[in-house]
Parts: sequence; structure tokens; C-alpha cells
Amino acid sequence: MPGPAPLSRRGLGLAAAAAGLAIGFRLDAPARAAEGEVTPMLLANPRLDTWVRLAPDGRITVRTGRVELGQGVLTAMRQIAAEELDLDPAAIEVLSADTDAAPNEGFTAGSMSVRYGGEALGVACADLRASLLRVAAEAWGTEPSRLTVADATIQDADGRRMTYGEAAGRVSVARPVDTSVRRKDPALGRLVGTSLPRTDLPAKVFGQQVFIHDLRPEGMLFGAVARPPGYAARLLSFDEAAARALPGVVAVVRDGSFLGVVARREEQAREAARRIAEAAAWENGDPLFGGKGVFDHMKGIDAEEKVLHRTAGDAQGSVRAHRVEYRRGYQAHASIGASCALAQWEGGRLTVWSHTQGPFPLRTDLAKALRVEEASIRVVHAQGSGCYGHNGADDVALDAALLARAAGGRPVRVHWTHEEEMAWEPWSSAMIVRMEAGLGFDGTPTSWTHDVRSFSHNTRPGQPGAQGCNLRSAWMLERPVGPPVSTDAPLPAGAAARNAVPIYAGIPNQRVSTHFLKEAPIRTSALRTLGGYFNALCGDLFIDELAALAGKDPVSYRLANLRDPRLAAVLHRAVELAGWTPEAVRLSPALEPVMTGTGIGLTRYKNTDCYVAVVARAEVDTRSGAVRPIALWAAVDAGRVVNPDGLRNQIEGGMVQSTSWTLLEEGRWDANRIVSDSYADYPILAFPSLPRIESAIIDRPDQAPLGAGEGSQAPTGAALANAVFAATGRRVPEIPLTPGRVRAALLA
Amino acid sequence: MAKLTVNGRGVEVDVDPATPLIYVLRNDLALNGPKLGCGRAQCGACTVHLDGEAIRSCQFPVGEAEGRRVTTLEGLGTPERPHPLQEAFLAEQAAQCGYCTSGMIMQGAALIQARPGITEAEVLAGMEGNLCRCGTQPRVVRAVLSAARKGA
Repeated sequence: MPGPAPLSRRGLGLAAAAAGLAIGFRLDAPARAAEGEVTPMLLANPRLDTWVRLAPDGRITVRTGRVELGQGVLTAMRQIAAEELDLDPAAIEVLSADTDAAPNEGFTAGSMSVRYGGEALGVACADLRASLLRVAAEAWGTEPSRLTVADATIQDADGRRMTYGEAAGRVSVARPVDTSVRRKDPALGRLVGTSLPRTDLPAKVFGQQVFIHDLRPEGMLFGAVARPPGYAARLLSFDEAAARALPGVVAVVRDGSFLGVVARREEQAREAARRIAEAAAWENGDPLFGGKGVFDHMKGIDAEEKVLHRTAGDAQGSVRAHRVEYRRGYQAHASIGASCALAQWEGGRLTVWSHTQGPFPLRTDLAKALRVEEASIRVVHAQGSGCYGHNGADDVALDAALLARAAGGRPVRVHWTHEEEMAWEPWSSAMIVRMEAGLGFDGTPTSWTHDVRSFSHNTRPGQPGAQGCNLRSAWMLERPVGPPVSTDAPLPAGAAARNAVPIYAGIPNQRVSTHFLKEAPIRTSALRTLGGYFNALCGDLFIDELAALAGKDPVSYRLANLRDPRLAAVLHRAVELAGWTPEAVRLSPALEPVMTGTGIGLTRYKNTDCYVAVVARAEVDTRSGAVRPIALWAAVDAGRVVNPDGLRNQIEGGMVQSTSWTLLEEGRWDANRIVSDSYADYPILAFPSLPRIESAIIDRPDQAPLGAGEGSQAPTGAALANAVFAATGRRVPEIPLTPGRVRAALLA
Repeated sequence: MAKLTVNGRGVEVDVDPATPLIYVLRNDLALNGPKLGCGRAQCGACTVHLDGEAIRSCQFPVGEAEGRRVTTLEGLGTPERPHPLQEAFLAEQAAQCGYCTSGMIMQGAALIQARPGITEAEVLAGMEGNLCRCGTQPRVVRAVLSAARKGA
């Protein structure tokens, strides 16, 4: 098993990860930096002026390739830069991703922004500060180490002062970053570790222009796609003259089976697309899953089998085995604002405004689909509604580019409908996990196996070296560019098998394997945590069952098999916060009308990032099968924290989101496509079902910051499922825990 | 042609009266507050006030707003003169992506207006039609209750 990617030594002192999803950068894997080496973001973007610039008047602009997804990353970056440069955070301008003007940091994903991108930005800012100090030291004939900075003014002990503006003219940023520069001692920090309010919120609270949906350039037209009836459908014919005659229509675009419209008004474009799609003649493909259920289908098709992790150990003899199969259906991102893009062609050059997580990878795939040079495309990031992973953000950018080609140089905005987002975005794969453990005479586990059967959790655009294009409409063109062969990511981060390696280092004879399914009838990709939510949840469900078989309570049983004190610490803290006295779960007791239970979930996200324990209390109405979440308590250790309130917002938000996934969410399909395309058909948690939520942070200022944007989903889901187990003494093996499934498990 | 009063200003727009109000507010009047969400009155992102009451502008024909007062987030308060609930949202940092925020504030402001001594249970029930996917609901509840206590 490959080791986790270590941070550079400098990273330990730095940054602090706040609230963030961070970036899943492809360079992370090959450039697994050894201790003291340069962070991969600086290897990819070595020039100082890519990261930070200094105007003649001393104004400082920092550039990050990370994008704001609502996780507060631009606030955290501002804190890091201001800390390093000894500036008021408000004095810095922060520019986010733009393929013409910002570093290429791949994707903002995977809870890696602060850990990797913050590290790079911090080094660059420390380098700039050192250069400015050298200018003053030379002017005054002294040593930089004798100088201090306050509020953008350099001073020495004799009272001499020089502002950054005065020094600016003698500093060049058109050079490589000096990666040997010393970062500020964390003990001297005054910004990192504080809850600086989010810098983007005032504009959102007062209705100022923030979102891509708010961009209204002069002459803008509106585009919409006329959707086929199914994923495998082909367009046979349509009445182009009738389409052009619809109200407001300016242009109709057909390219193979891609069909769309440009209109003067947004509602006209949407209505025209709907009518065109309805009137067109389409030929549907074969029924999804051959008409079977998804789990049967998954077990019946060819799978790529791999063993990813194995340990030996002195197993004592096992006297019994425990085997389970857990399943989870398809789940959606279900963003409140559907995906949106704005595109404009000017003399063969295309500019796309997009809320993509990866402007550079999007550009790569746009160039493939449109058959133009990458250099002729600029992708500028503009904020969207929260995406929670790979939703329709990238796909809609190609739709806008295809439609804008027919708009005579005018900008075209495409804002999918919610139905379109739900039916056509990539979903999170259905999953089947099989687990088996041997148990000794006293109930101690003697082995642990975890097998994951899943479609892909990452079909993002711009896969390095891949043939093909991961933008949906490219597959439908007259000269289609099909999707690349789907692949799974290796551990430790993993994709389908993320968090499949147990956190219980005390259990011997571990084996983790995958059955990876390459052909996905329903397109799948990254939803926050990828496979991590379900794999970690399964581990938690399974250990609770082992504890119950051993007649032990779930907390002491976990502790007996843990070897990492930080996991034990969050476990203790969450139990204490909940005021819970754990007891052994009694299996299959007589049912009462309403039963209440308390359960636990414990994870280290990706086995390399933050530690989170969640305790849940839930009530089960055994007559209806309805589960009511009463309260959730979490404890988190994310190492050194950049912004405590940002961290809390991510952790608690993840708890609400996961409550929704775990109790409610499941996509359904007909022969042709996903049909759960409204909030009525795919409900998400609403205010009246909100459990009480409390969280505690274990701050470790002496430890490296750890990614935390996705840390609470798995332990929350597990805690809820284990609360149902504790309440009823019966396991519901399938997520979500809908009343029907709960009833079936109670009656089994 | 439809004549409306939006945020205290009389406006005329040349559209089919059946056009959902949200498109007029966002695209003709360039207002950013109301957001186009599900388009089916299931998520609440498009919430605005009509004569002080919260409505879903994605399902409301502009023609029916003729002669009535429409208020959007921009009209509720400004950075210089914020509504107490806008201040409370900032104090509680009650957002992540912020896409649902306008609808949350408009719905919450109408609730507080209608029931000054509103309880937590009433907030939960009153906000049922407003969805947040980032999971900031606990902060939203705290913001609404705190603004209500301050007599918003």
C-alpha cells in the first residue's frame, strides 16, 4: 500500500485548513513530495507572478487556482496571504481561477485546497515579503532579519520606515518562487486560527452580483438544450422551420443528436427547447440495466477485480465468521441552482464563464469536443450554486459553447432547468459492499475483508493522457468524441474504494478489494467523498454488528481495536458531548411501537485527513418504518485550523447533508433515464426534519492542517444507521433508510 | 406590457403577462436577489414579497403582480440600511454557497413580520418550503430567531 502524500516541512507550519474542499490535483499523486520538498502546486506553477503581484502603489493581488464553491476557500486564502505579508486581509485583492490569469491547480476538490494550494500561496507570499525586506535592508545598510513589518510598512529599530509601495519599484515578481524562503512562525500568527468572517457573504446577503447566473453582458442571448427522451437515444428528425418559428427563437442548432435553441428571452429558450424536444423524432436505445434492478445488474456484468490492501498478523483462531452485504442506490448532487455557463465566440476565440471545479481541465475537454486549439479558449471561473462534486457544471459549458457558435458573436447564457440537472448530471454510483470478519472465542475480530462493487466515482473532464472527452454533449455530436475508458483511482485517496481500508489497525488479516464496473448505463462521477461516505459507513455498521455479537458496547469495542490516539480522542469527545453511556446492542428484541437508539460513527477521511466522530440519536416508528433524527453530536480534529467557524460550518453542513443522503435520497429510473427529476421525486432534508446539531473542535496548532470539507458525511450516516440498529436490534442493510426498507428489516 | 412597483419604483416591462415574475425581475430589471431554482415552487430560492407576503416568483405570473408592491432582497435592506435579518445572517455566517440565501431571508423576514414572537418550532415549520443543500439550516434558524428577538 502506498503511503500517504506527506506535506512539505513548510506545510506543517502553514496554512491551516479551514473550511475547505480543496483541490484534487493530478500532480499530487506523481509528485508525492518527500519531506522538505516543494509542494506540487509550485512545481506545476513555479513563477512568483502567477501567485502574487505588486502594483507600483504597493497594492497586492494574490491569485489562486482554487475556486469558491461556498466552502469559504477564498476567505481562507486571504487569511493565509495576509498572515504571510503582514497585511490587513481587506487590503489584498484575491483573484480566483482563470485560465489566462491564475495558476493551474487542477480541480478544487477532495478537501485539498488549503493543504496544497494554501501551502503554495503561503510560500509565494513569504517570498514576496522577503524580497521587499531585502530592498529596505539594502537601502538602509542593514540586515533583513533586523526589520519588522506592520500594516504594509517595513521599519527598523531606528524608526526608519518604508511602505510596500515605496519598495515595490525595486522588486520583480517575474521570476521563479524561491522555495527555500522561510514561512512565518505559526506561533507569531495573528490571522490563521481566527474566524475571519467570510468575505463573500455580504454581497450574497444584499443581492449584489455574485453568481454566474447574475452575469448579463451587453447583447446576451439565452440558450437551452432540447433533451432526448433517454441517455442512449438518437435524433432521427425534427422540423427545423417550425422550431425557428417559435416565439423569440434566434437560432436553432443541430449537430448529430445534440439539439438546442438560442432565444431572446430565457423563458422563451426554455419553452422552445421543451417543444422542440417533444416534437422531434427520437430513437431510444436498449433499456437501462436490461430491465433489471441496478444491484442485480451490477452483480451480473464483467468487473475489474483488484486487491488494494492486505495485512498479515497473528490471527488467533476464529470460531465463527460474520458476513454481510450492504447496498446504496444512486444519489444526486441536487444543487439548488442548476448548472449554468456563459459563452462567447469572438473571431475564432472562445471565452467561457463557468462554475467548474477545474477551469484548466474543462478547457482541455472543450477543445477536444469543439475541435479547436486549447490556446483559443479562455475559461473564467464565476461562482455557482454549491456543487458538492462533479455536477452539470462542466457539461453546461459545452452546451453554451455549442449554442453560442450560432449566435453571431453574441454571448449566450445557458442555465439548465432543475429537471435537466437531475436527469442529465453525473450521479453518484450505486454501490454494493460485502464484508466478512472472523471472530475469536471472546468476540475479538481475527480478520476483516471489505469488497466494493461500484461504477466510477470520477469521470471529470481533462483526465491526463486520456483519449476521449468527459463532456456529455460531445458524445452526441455528428462527429462524436466519446468518453474515455473509466478508471478507478489508487489508494490512499482512492475513489470507489476511498475509506475502504479500516481505521482499526488492531485488527489483523485485513483485505480490501474492488469489483470496478467500467460500463455505466447511468453516468456517474464524484459526489462529495466519492466512495468514502459509503465505505466508511459500512465499516462502522459492520463493527457495530461485531460488537453486538461479542456482547460489547460499540465504543469500547472500537477503542479495543484502534491504534491511533487521535481517532480515540475524537471518539471520546463526541461521546462526552452527547452525554451518552454506551451499552451493548441487544439483538432482535420484541418490537415496541416507537423505539429510540443512540449510535456512533468514526472516520478518518481518506485515511489521511481529518478525524471525525459523530453520535446520533434517532427514533424509529416501527409501525411505519419512519426514522426521525433527533440529535447529532460531532467532534473533529483537523490539525491546525485556519478558520474555526469555517471548519464548523463545513462539518455541521456535512452532517445535515448526510442526514438527507442517509434517510431520504435515492434516484429512480425508467427504461431510458433517471426520472427522479424534481424535489418532489427526489426530496432532500427540509427544516422540519432537522435534528439538533452540536460540534466540538479539537484544535492542534502544532499539527499540519488536514482536509476537512468532507469529513462528517460518513460518520453522520453511520451514526444514524447505528442508532436505528441500537433502537431496534435489527440492521437495515440498504441506504437510504426509507420507511419501506426499515419495515422490511424489522419484519425479516 | 406589465406595470409593477418593484422595491418602491414604478416599472413597465413589455412581456407576456403569463411570464413568471422571476424572469422579469432577474433578466429585465437586472435584480440579483431572487434566484431561479427548481422553477416549480419546491425550493424557495425565488422567494420575494408581494404586498409584504412571501411568494414564489417562479410560479407567479407577472400580470398578477400589476398594481402591487414587489420587494426583493435588494429592496429589503442595503449595506447602509440593512434589514435586521440581513445583519443576523452575517452575524451567524448563515450561508455557504449563498444561492438559497435570498429566499431564506425573504421567507424569514415575512415570518418575523407576521409573528414577532416566533418560536423555533414555528420557524422550522414556516421555512419548510425553503431548501438548502449546503446544510446551513441550523444557522438560518439561529439567524431568524435572533432577528426576531431584536424586534425585526
